[in-house]
Amino acid sequence: MPIGEVQPSVRPARVGRTDGAAGAATRRGVARSRRGRGMRSERLAPYVLLAPAVLIIVLLRLYPLLLGVNFSFTGDGERNGVAVGLDNYLELLRDPLFRTALGNVGLLVLLLPVAVAIPGLLATFIYLRVPGHRLYRSVYFFPAVLSPVIVGAIFNLLLAFDGPVNAVLGSVGVGAVDWLGDPDVAMFVVVGVHVWATFGMGLVVFLAGFATLDSALLDAARVDGASLPQVIWHVIVPGLSRTIQFVFVTTMIGMLTSMFGLLYVMTSGGPEGSTYLPEYYIWIQQGQMNRPALASAASTVLFVIMLVVGLLQIKLLKRAAREV
Amino acid sequence: MKQRAMWSAVLVAGLALAGCGSATGSDSSPSGSEGKLVVWDWKSGEASAAPYLEKAKADFAKKHPDVTVEFVAQPFDQYYTLLGAAIQSGKGPDVMLFNGGGQIRDRVDALVPLDEYVAEDRQRLAGWDAFTKEGKVYASPVTLQGHPIYYNKAIYEKAGLDPAGPATTWSKLLADCAAIAKVGAKCFALGNKEGAGIQFWLSGLASGVLTATEYDDWIAGRRDWTSPNVKRIFQLWKEAGDAGLNNEGANSTAMFNDSFALFQSGKAAHVIGLMSDVGHWKDFGEFLTPDKLGVMDAPVVTAGTTPSLPYDGGIGYGVARWTKDPKVAADLVRALTSTDALKAFYADAGAIAADTTVDVSQGGPAVAAIVSEIKGGKPALHVALSSKTLDLMGRLSQQLLGGSITVDEVVKQLAASDRAG
Repeated sequence: MPIGEVQPSVRPARVGRTDGAAGAATRRGVARSRRGRGMRSERLAPYVLLAPAVLIIVLLRLYPLLLGVNFSFTGDGERNGVAVGLDNYLELLRDPLFRTALGNVGLLVLLLPVAVAIPGLLATFIYLRVPGHRLYRSVYFFPAVLSPVIVGAIFNLLLAFDGPVNAVLGSVGVGAVDWLGDPDVAMFVVVGVHVWATFGMGLVVFLAGFATLDSALLDAARVDGASLPQVIWHVIVPGLSRTIQFVFVTTMIGMLTSMFGLLYVMTSGGPEGSTYLPEYYIWIQQGQMNRPALASAASTVLFVIMLVVGLLQIKLLKRAAREV
Repeated sequence: MKQRAMWSAVLVAGLALAGCGSATGSDSSPSGSEGKLVVWDWKSGEASAAPYLEKAKADFAKKHPDVTVEFVAQPFDQYYTLLGAAIQSGKGPDVMLFNGGGQIRDRVDALVPLDEYVAEDRQRLAGWDAFTKEGKVYASPVTLQGHPIYYNKAIYEKAGLDPAGPATTWSKLLADCAAIAKVGAKCFALGNKEGAGIQFWLSGLASGVLTATEYDDWIAGRRDWTSPNVKRIFQLWKEAGDAGLNNEGANSTAMFNDSFALFQSGKAAHVIGLMSDVGHWKDFGEFLTPDKLGVMDAPVVTAGTTPSLPYDGGIGYGVARWTKDPKVAADLVRALTSTDALKAFYADAGAIAADTTVDVSQGGPAVAAIVSEIKGGKPALHVALSSKTLDLMGRLSQQLLGGSITVDEVVKQLAASDRAG
């Protein structure tokens, strides 16, 4: 009961001041209250120091987010500003284009292990010092510095129906493929180009992770006669679990939020709407269709998906990390 | 954790049920300082538009010497996104540039009807329909935009066809295309990556397919999607694709400017192009000399139809609802559409101006042919459709070329979207 002890120690001081006799007690009391003030400012200090960051997050992140969610429950056009409940969300559910966009998000999640495995494997080879590893280290990173628009434009030229890739295919007797015009192929092409353009970042993170790997373990495994796949699976993967986890999450976020530039330049969501992603859908609804409230609803759905996917990933990867 | 979930549920439910739709500013608030008008467009940044703007500014300064005008050039691909944000907040430019058709009709809530201010210009300018909704005019046309069928006379000569007498019927055109195929060129340059190819196809060919009544009904909003002639347009689209009349990979070819590049470079004999801005007589002139560029009427598909040039007001200036003095802003719009200003626009920016009194005889035979048809021309069919229906039509047209949908299903879906919009 600390409170019970504090109260009596303060009271005598006040009493002392009123009867004007116990000067020593008063001085002691003043010293204490000064210490109390010091403690209070010490208690407040962290909040004061945190305030700018918290205010920025609340005012510039959370408040607009809430406004956006709020806005998604209002109508567009003639019903501008009128509460419409869940109408926008129901419309999204009924729109086959939005369903395609969500389906493509599912496809991205399925392709995620590939997008993580590619930089992982390449980093492993560089770490194991394959011939020319110094050159590869810089070459692999090179596309990561290009803007998606430039990457898209380059691949537009390469993958055009009368472009060089089809010319090469033709010269070896394989029929031309309409890479960006075939709805069954286009999404994979765009994801492939995105992975090509961004795997350099994952590679650098992996290389940084390798720097923390205990090389004694690798040597021990080699002495024990482990094969390369065995070394990768039993030594490298467990040793890098935190790095892998980080690359998984960042690659997922990158895939869901920064493919707009590529989509815009390479396919414009087509052919037949097969390469729509939620962010592209949001842009079309807001900018082209003049449906800002519907776009807000789609944004809210995308936000929730990102939240759920991100949390699930962290949870799964944490469990995996504990098991190994 | 449970408590957190409950709180978020309460929050979401609260927002949904209360539906406090306060995020949008539904009431107007005045903007702009005294004596200043702000204009938004995507043209004023271009060097070729400078003489036009100078003329317009000078004209406006004569009437209102104390009012300054500021032109803000926005990037075109972001234009309607930025404008949408400005409209939502109820603050923005006083005068703004619009594309005719859906883009302006979707946004008339933010505009002042101009009928009383521009009455004098009604005769001199053409293309008002594209800026009209429910009988009220919301912008004055600057340029005309339409879809003439251009053809390459050099390919015609090579294929042994008469360059002065292009096909007037669909069957004759198919025969010509067979001859053109023999000399290694495609019949049509088609870019349908953005889904715009079908819009040009629909508008470019419709006057030879739909009867005059059907055509006028379509423009008036009474669109009969079950009509066999409407269906025929989409059938022709599919047949042309199946017969290999288009360049290969049309669904991955961008209309701007890959398909026009195919036409200019002589890989395809025909293209349904534009009249103003891009993909038109002035653009093609870079590679095709004016005497090699022809303009033809839509081929007659349904006997008894009279082909006409499909065109509308291309771009035009409107006045925002929140401007202080609509009269002054409307005067600026009038200055921007004065004969002198539009003459400069035609000559320097390469556009068919909305002013029919502008002399175009220097522009070559193709532009003269286009201008001579403006009088008998009719609004383009696709401009009458909502952006939503156009977007759907783009995707369905890609499916038609890819072979994953039937014409009947396409017409059915478009009819449903058109009714809903």
